[in-house]
Amino acid sequence: MSRNRLIEGNALTRRNVFTLAGGAAAGAFLPLDYSRVALAQGAKTLRVRIGSDISVLDPPHIFQIENQTVAGHVFNGLVKYDQATNKIVPDLATAWTISGDGKVYTFKLRSGVTFHKTYGTLTASDVTYSLDRVLDPKGASKYTGQLAGLVKTEAPDPQTVVLTLDNPSVGFLHKLTAFNQGWIVSKKAVEEMGDKFKLNPIGTGPFTFEKWTTGAEVRLAANKSYFEGAPTIDELQLRIIKEETAAAIALEKGEIDIFYALQQPEMIDRLSKVAGIKVLSRDANHTINLVLNTTIKPLDDVRVRQAIAYAMNRKGLIDGYFKGTKGMGHSVLTSSFAEFTDDVPKYAYDPDKAKALLKDAGHPSFKFEITSVGLSPFDRIVVPLAEDLKAVGIDTTLKILERGAYTQARNSGNVQSCVTGVVGPPDPDSPLVTLYAKKSFPPGLNTARYEAVEELLSKAAAATGDASRAAAYKAILQKTMTDVPVIPLYADKLFLAHTDKVQGLVQNSLFTVHTYSASLKG
Amino acid sequence: MLGYLGRCFGQLIVTAIGIVTVAFFLMRAIPGDPAQYMLGDYATKEALVTLRAQLGLDRSLIEQYGLFLSRAFRGDLGTSVVTGQAALTEIIDSLPASMALAISGLAVAIALGVPLGIAAAIRQGTWFDVAIMLVTLGGISFPVFWLGLAAILLFAHKLSIFPALGSSSSTNLATQLHHLALPSLVLGFSVAAYIARLTRSAMLEVLGQDYVRVARAMGIPERRIVYKLALRNAMVPILAVIGVTFAWSLGNAILIEAVFSRSGVGSTMLKAILARDYQLVQAGVLALATAVVLTNAVLDVTYGLIDPRLRSS
Repeated sequence: MSRNRLIEGNALTRRNVFTLAGGAAAGAFLPLDYSRVALAQGAKTLRVRIGSDISVLDPPHIFQIENQTVAGHVFNGLVKYDQATNKIVPDLATAWTISGDGKVYTFKLRSGVTFHKTYGTLTASDVTYSLDRVLDPKGASKYTGQLAGLVKTEAPDPQTVVLTLDNPSVGFLHKLTAFNQGWIVSKKAVEEMGDKFKLNPIGTGPFTFEKWTTGAEVRLAANKSYFEGAPTIDELQLRIIKEETAAAIALEKGEIDIFYALQQPEMIDRLSKVAGIKVLSRDANHTINLVLNTTIKPLDDVRVRQAIAYAMNRKGLIDGYFKGTKGMGHSVLTSSFAEFTDDVPKYAYDPDKAKALLKDAGHPSFKFEITSVGLSPFDRIVVPLAEDLKAVGIDTTLKILERGAYTQARNSGNVQSCVTGVVGPPDPDSPLVTLYAKKSFPPGLNTARYEAVEELLSKAAAATGDASRAAAYKAILQKTMTDVPVIPLYADKLFLAHTDKVQGLVQNSLFTVHTYSASLKG
Repeated sequence: MLGYLGRCFGQLIVTAIGIVTVAFFLMRAIPGDPAQYMLGDYATKEALVTLRAQLGLDRSLIEQYGLFLSRAFRGDLGTSVVTGQAALTEIIDSLPASMALAISGLAVAIALGVPLGIAAAIRQGTWFDVAIMLVTLGGISFPVFWLGLAAILLFAHKLSIFPALGSSSSTNLATQLHHLALPSLVLGFSVAAYIARLTRSAMLEVLGQDYVRVARAMGIPERRIVYKLALRNAMVPILAVIGVTFAWSLGNAILIEAVFSRSGVGSTMLKAILARDYQLVQAGVLALATAVVLTNAVLDVTYGLIDPRLRSS
């Protein structure tokens, strides 16, 4: 990232001059500015809407985008994704080498990085401790499986971390990026605080965690000694606003500055027409899929699965229900992955072909049930799809369950089909292994119980060089899209709206927002 | 009085045990599992087993219930499985926001409901009465989340009188009240509808009684009859409904909390139910049950102040 972090202090950069002039002009047109209270105190406060309360900020147990958004500001990883390009770039490690056999990773740490508050300097033992916590079977971490294959973590000196794998894995760096299991915590802080660390996170990031007011807001303060330079904003306030409509009005009225993870197509459309508000959009890292259980008859027949793919008017769903705010899913990888290709079998809406395939398979009509979760839009989108399936003779019923009940039903592995998505970083193994590998059988997400790409997956893990890696992943995508145990319904897109006051904000392809790049005008 | 307080305390204990028991078994009867919620998409069999053991979910239901009761009697309601915080602390933390909304909403409701009800009763059958009853019918019928959104659109978006967010982190009291105004008005309006209708019928009943007719025959001024003689008698049922709505708005203001982005016991409980955070749900149910019993106790005392016949000997 090219950022002018070196110019500090009072230097008046060109951007600052522009900022001052623009701020004065914009201020004159605001009828009622609730932000004045904060500005009067001279602090630059950036206010971001989050949709629900935070709960756990400790990396091995973290989940939900609100928690991940907070943690993203507090913690760093050994490496990180460049927000704009999704390339893996240095974070806490400045350099790394991979041994010839692809099993030993050696990282050199940046020197002089300090933890927040009084928790001292980062050393290699903090890194090994953070990873060991995820691996500890007694720790019940969500992400133990993500670091599977990591057999040894060592800190030969305070600036060096050596990680040893049991098998070569080219994609292993993805697992160490600054997200979930890759976030590095302060060993001293965890040992001192114990369970309290869950809501008192200590990391090395650009913001320190200051205060959590249950159900209302989270406050983070700028880390003035951040190793890449202090953030230009002084305080980050994450306001909990559950209702999207209320959040949109609050944005228009200048009560908040950033509204990320916008969902409703109408809202996106409306906000993009409001003067003084910018709407950014970007392809997400995930697709929403219909997973077919390949062990239940007649879904064990590939022709039946293909018929289901042909029978559903997915284009109609995207253009109609979503008003074009989603993209076509050609495989479970979206265009934000380096390994993405659309050179795969495609299933354009073709009810006649579907009927013919069903007839071929000897199942012109059968009973089919889709299980989905009672959250918008997943409870709505299945309705038109079920109608499409009925039209070709598949007697489809819908089962919409409350979230807890849905997870239990899905993880039992006994549902005929379910709607699911794998939200995560741009690591191709994240959706592929989670949806297609044998080790992800229920209670994991491979509720298709699909096992035809085991060999291809391990080949891809060992493929070195960009070309062979691309070929290996292409083979997986082509095979899985021929067998279609998982039908991508649509490729998700992310929308983020912010006021004109916010500048330089880079939208990432995760469901989170990272405001270090942003500055405030005025 | 001491005997009365004793009875009240006894009632509180019985109610609390009963309701917490129901909550305990109801929560465990619905499908879903806290361990699965926390482990989510990457759940493996081993991690599930480990986490269930850590949370004590691998024990039998009766064992869990016994453990819960014995701890509860020592004042320990457990810790939230999600955040690791003491469940009671989390509920108590969300109480002030709920109380502020419930009290201000009730103040609006009484200020609107009682005078409107009296006015409608006095002018029974006139267009004024019909108009008030129609407006209050609206207050009862419109869902409160719709009213809330409509109010935000009108007052925050179009007129810019109030902020769209119903709470503020500012320490300035005026700013806080400014944020609180819109949610209290919406909550107050929906509750005022009930109070106005009840005030009207209670007043009508009292105004039709013999002593009022006698008072009128004696030439006592109508104002005095309505506000001194009749209102005081009508006050007992009105107070009853006010008490009920206060307890109701503590827990059920959740829709208002959601629409106006406020924290509160209702939101905390909903979050806990979705996460199958058993301890937090139990603590919340207990807090709400206590609030209901206490409100009723306070009401019982006030009945006595208004109507000497209801004073306990």
